[in-house]
Amino acid sequence: MKHLVYLICGIVVTVIFFILSCTDGFNIYEMMFFNQGYNDKMYSLDMYPVIAAITIAVAWGGAAIYYYAINSVKFDRWYHWLAVMGAVAVLAPVICYIYNDTVFASNGLMYVGESIKFEMQTVLFAALLYIVASFSMRWWSSNCRHTPLPQ
Amino acid sequence: MKNMRRLPVWILCCVMLAGLAACGGHGKLDKAVRSALVSGDTTRAAYDSLCSIVTQDPGNYSDLLTPEGKVDHKKMAQFIEDIASHLRPPMHWNTRPYGGVDDLSLTIYFERSGSMVPYDQRGGGGQLKKAVNDLINHFPAGSKVDINIVNDGIYPYQHTVDEFLQDRDIYQSTAGIGDASYTDFQLIFNKILEAQRPGNVSVLVSDLIYSPKDTHGVSLDKIFNEENSLATRAFARYKGKSVVVQQFMGDYSGKYYPYNGEPFNYSGKRPFYLVIIADSDVMDQLAQDKRYSGVLDADAARNSYRFNQGTSEVQCRVLPEWKDNAGRFRVKHGEGIVLAKCQGDRETGKLCFSMAANLGGLTMDDALLTNAANYQVQSIDGYTLAVQPIDPSMVTANNKDYLEGMTHILTLTGDLKSPRDEIHISLRNELPGWVHQSSSDNDTSTGGSFATTTLGLEQLLGGMFDAMKGGSSYFDVTIELQR
Repeated sequence: MKHLVYLICGIVVTVIFFILSCTDGFNIYEMMFFNQGYNDKMYSLDMYPVIAAITIAVAWGGAAIYYYAINSVKFDRWYHWLAVMGAVAVLAPVICYIYNDTVFASNGLMYVGESIKFEMQTVLFAALLYIVASFSMRWWSSNCRHTPLPQ
Repeated sequence: MKNMRRLPVWILCCVMLAGLAACGGHGKLDKAVRSALVSGDTTRAAYDSLCSIVTQDPGNYSDLLTPEGKVDHKKMAQFIEDIASHLRPPMHWNTRPYGGVDDLSLTIYFERSGSMVPYDQRGGGGQLKKAVNDLINHFPAGSKVDINIVNDGIYPYQHTVDEFLQDRDIYQSTAGIGDASYTDFQLIFNKILEAQRPGNVSVLVSDLIYSPKDTHGVSLDKIFNEENSLATRAFARYKGKSVVVQQFMGDYSGKYYPYNGEPFNYSGKRPFYLVIIADSDVMDQLAQDKRYSGVLDADAARNSYRFNQGTSEVQCRVLPEWKDNAGRFRVKHGEGIVLAKCQGDRETGKLCFSMAANLGGLTMDDALLTNAANYQVQSIDGYTLAVQPIDPSMVTANNKDYLEGMTHILTLTGDLKSPRDEIHISLRNELPGWVHQSSSDNDTSTGGSFATTTLGLEQLLGGMFDAMKGGSSYFDVTIELQR
């Protein structure tokens, strides 16, 4: 039951993150990096929800792969888990940047410098969501449920 | 236990399905509308492509279709407006011209008084006829066009529009119509206003010289007062009208009839006018609908002025990136223009920001709009205003959605001292300077400014101004500044 509470809390935190990434008044992405022109375009082109969805998918997907696909005693040490987190923290911003760049290019916009700065946030959010996802789903892994911290 | 293991997978699947459901609906159309607005592609072709998205998927977009399966342009406009108004900055796309709106009709009232005949001599430049021909041609093909000859009354032109366009000597072909010795403006304005139907644009082509019957021995002041009163009376009776007066210069060669009745020959330039009269919403359509471009912004017009009733709504967008910007600020989105987290420039302490504004709907000439002295700016910290027209070279990929549909840049500069400030900008509702400069009270000789002035113009237009003045300003904008 305790593990299920962890899972539900993880989903709630993720949903809150998603909602806060879509709102106009208080936007989690605009708290840490703000460039009026760039952020206005991100909002107008409805890109925040997609960026947030990519980050969530990569973070939860990375955790799922680690706990249920890799799921091996050979890879149950904390640094294996950390390596996957590193991969998530690199992969998520790269995909988001490609998406960002594609949408901007199709609308004739140029925001290379701003996009790179913006994706630094995605590194942080992807890592945090990976931790959230890990503590939500690790409990049902047969070989890695003690990673990164023993139960 | 096995079921327990599958539980997180089920919960995750449910969350993902909910997410997918939220992305459904009018997603494709929504995305296309956003893209068109942000990239500044608010053209007819872009609108047609949106309509094709709707018609290709009638099941998904049934709420945007008529029972006959055609695009409901009113609902489509509402759909676009809902998205546009929630963008940053909020935008507006006038799709009305694409939605099968009826063409406007044009009625021309061509003055045929003695002093108008020399404007269209065979040896002259033909500017008067060209201005009228251009006006007719700027209406879409197929628009209903009527032509009337006016002097002591209003008489229908007996030939076709094509014959009018090809006529090299319009005054010769209309000789004998009415009494050309005087022009009864009271009757003409009353008849025009009375006869005007919805969707009609009436244009009086005239030298705007008030020449009533039997002025022998009447003082000029009395004539001017009479002229002023009749203009006020005529227009005050018809509410909701809008008038644009355009001034042109034309070659004049022939007899001129001054107010004291001693005609003399004159060859040279003389001003003439197109007085465009329509309902306010029709005038707005003329100003905004690209099908009618060239009507209110005629290239040959030397000066123009729109008489209106009431204060207009002017669309403004704060430009986040602009060469003149100094200091920092963040535009708050929602009601009104609010700049939050304002910080002065590190070196000078000044805050400078620019806004793109659409002043095209006011139909004022650029000299009036770009002269900061015509504006009233009120604020605690004493902000100053500079106005410049938008030049195509200013438009970049990143700012085109801010500049799309806008005509001028308003730049405000001030010392950021107060924790909160409110800047009120208004364009004063006054007759423009060119009216006074183009008006004379003596036309008995060709000396001085005879070539560029019209007898009693200020009194006539002043009378119209008094009748149509709706408020003390043409538009008001308030910007709230927060530290």
